[in-house]
Amino acid sequence: MSKLLKLTALMALAILFLAACNGGNGNDASEEGAEDPETTSETIGDGDVELVFWEFGNTGYDKLIEEYVADNPHISINLQNSDMNDVHDNLFTSVSTGSGAPDIAMVEEAQIERYRNAEDAFNNLYDLGAESVVDNYLDWVFQNGESADGSFLFGLPTDIGPTVMFYRTDVFEEAGFDSSPEAVSELVSTWEDFESVAHQIYDETGKLMADAGELVFNARRDQATQQYFNEDDELIIDDHPQIREAYDYVANLFDEGLVGDIPLWTPEWFAGMEDGTYATMLAPAWMQGQIKDNSPEEGVWSITTMPEGAGNWGGSYLTVPSESEHAEEAYQFIEWLTAPEQQLKAFLDYGLFPSSPQVYEMSEFMDYEDDYFGGIATAQVFSEAAQQVIPVYKGRLYYPVDEELKQAIDNISAGDDRDEEWEAALQRIERILQR
Amino acid sequence: MKMTKKANQLTETKRTTIAAYLFISPFFILFAIFGLFPMIFSFYLSFFRWDGLDPMTFNGLNNFRFIFSDPIFYSSIKNTFIIGLLGTLPQIIVSILIAFALNSALIRFRNTFRTLIFLPYITSIVAVAIIFGLVFNNQPFGFANYILSFFDAGPIRWSAEYWPVKFAIATMVFWRWVGYNTIIFLAGMQSISKELYEAAKIDGATIGQQLRLITLPMLKPIVMFVVFTSTIGSLQLFTEPLIFLGRGLREEGITVVAYLWRDAFVYNTFGTASAAAIVLFVIIITLTAINLALSNLIGRSKRKVS
Repeated sequence: MSKLLKLTALMALAILFLAACNGGNGNDASEEGAEDPETTSETIGDGDVELVFWEFGNTGYDKLIEEYVADNPHISINLQNSDMNDVHDNLFTSVSTGSGAPDIAMVEEAQIERYRNAEDAFNNLYDLGAESVVDNYLDWVFQNGESADGSFLFGLPTDIGPTVMFYRTDVFEEAGFDSSPEAVSELVSTWEDFESVAHQIYDETGKLMADAGELVFNARRDQATQQYFNEDDELIIDDHPQIREAYDYVANLFDEGLVGDIPLWTPEWFAGMEDGTYATMLAPAWMQGQIKDNSPEEGVWSITTMPEGAGNWGGSYLTVPSESEHAEEAYQFIEWLTAPEQQLKAFLDYGLFPSSPQVYEMSEFMDYEDDYFGGIATAQVFSEAAQQVIPVYKGRLYYPVDEELKQAIDNISAGDDRDEEWEAALQRIERILQR
Repeated sequence: MKMTKKANQLTETKRTTIAAYLFISPFFILFAIFGLFPMIFSFYLSFFRWDGLDPMTFNGLNNFRFIFSDPIFYSSIKNTFIIGLLGTLPQIIVSILIAFALNSALIRFRNTFRTLIFLPYITSIVAVAIIFGLVFNNQPFGFANYILSFFDAGPIRWSAEYWPVKFAIATMVFWRWVGYNTIIFLAGMQSISKELYEAAKIDGATIGQQLRLITLPMLKPIVMFVVFTSTIGSLQLFTEPLIFLGRGLREEGITVVAYLWRDAFVYNTFGTASAAAIVLFVIIITLTAINLALSNLIGRSKRKVS
């Protein structure tokens, strides 16, 4: 009997232990996509035309759908929410085999590159009337949903992730700077300023300017007018100086010891938000959730514009796969869902940052203030960034190429030679393209 | 009347046969759909260039030519063997010793220990990743680096340096599978008759001698089984490097399966992925054949001696 008791106690302990581990994992869910692998499915409305809608993340679209089916009683929508990677893998399989695709599929901004040469598998939204809503969205966001020549439209944009500079007011003050967003924006208006401020912060406080090379590189990369590929999908990374400049900039910061080696989504990275290990983070709007969770004290972090422009990380598109038997209805629904009025609601209720500049003019949006960031009108800072993003053609192998450069940056942060690492990365990239 | 009788006679003999086939059919039907077909299709795919979306184009032997000219593919094979050896060889030795200890009558709380040793196997792989991410952290305050600092050794970048990456992944494999193999060895040991040990004790054999002269020889079939499954398992190593290195899969730690997975699902080049899968298939077949030949050899020579 006592044995049985012991065993039960042990099992209970084990379960607790495992549960605790899983709880801790919630933090890096956006990276690993490990959180909540379940798929939920819910049919809203009872119209005869049923649209199947695959989505991921926490969008709150169920509420908007209820509004839509109330006005359009012939439609019912089956909303299926799954893990982000699962949605894309399932969609890829459906597209590849030509069966099983939904009427509407949400595709993430980075993943849309995977489907670039599958125009057959999607409806050209221009054929369904998307010409009339072009002006509803920011140009660069809309272009990213188009084919290289602009004749084919894969999807309508939902939200975006414009990047700004999050910074620690306490560290800036300790280093002797005025920490108001206007002053910091002025202070760090160029990348040279960023470097010199980094020096002063390091000298005064011993703290790092940024967490790791990755986000600094991304920030400079996103401000380049040309990146890895041209519109014919030829590698141009070595034909223009902009990417190499971004790379060298990061390498210099490493040489001077101003940037850390604290990779994203690691426990020390999350801890660094609270401890103030690093003074700034060049990150998209949605990163505010992570910062608030990990550094709960109000008024410590603030937001201002990045030096010399902005970038984008994240956001999604709604596509209508060509398998859909109700392409017309599906299109009408996504046009409604991504219209400015609905984007405003998605922003106010769920923080999805709107891709429509018309929302930026709305008073509810402009008045949106956040006590956490010292009561400033954060939405305005992000919208200013969103309007500065430079449109750039990415190409199907954009992310694998980016991954190799990140590896090179990781290596130089450990003290390897920057030229050798650059060459090695280019060779690895060449091999990816040869496959 | 005659007809039914004849039919009955036929079913009499055939009924059992049909029933037997029916009973084994679920496996074979499922195997054909989810095992055999993908295998044959991947042979076929290895001669084509395909990104999963566009039509396939015939590519001859170019996929094989490509992977055999790719230094990372050779690294992946080398890594697989190194991590396999580092992870499984010590693991088999340790699990035999643990099983022997758990099997001995001297130890208290045996059931508790048996449960504890098996826990790593049922631990969620995500939890494993987080814990080992903390242990083998690149920062100076990472657990492994912290311990090293007592010996005046500088911090190691566990996720990027040649040997540390392999050591870290092998440790994960070791930790996760040692309990599983221990339980298998323990089951084998419990089938060894207690009388043998008693007789040995009366003759004055030490514990070491008991282990060497009774347990190990009697355990040979189980050892064979564990060596077989561990060899194949370590050649197919995938989850540990992926969660430890992330989707980037650095050259220092990439395994063959991770290599082909990346080709298929990151680069969407299913042709080279299939070619790599076939090379792996050949390696596994060869090694299994060598394993079989060796075990036959050992079995035969032993019989001659006795």
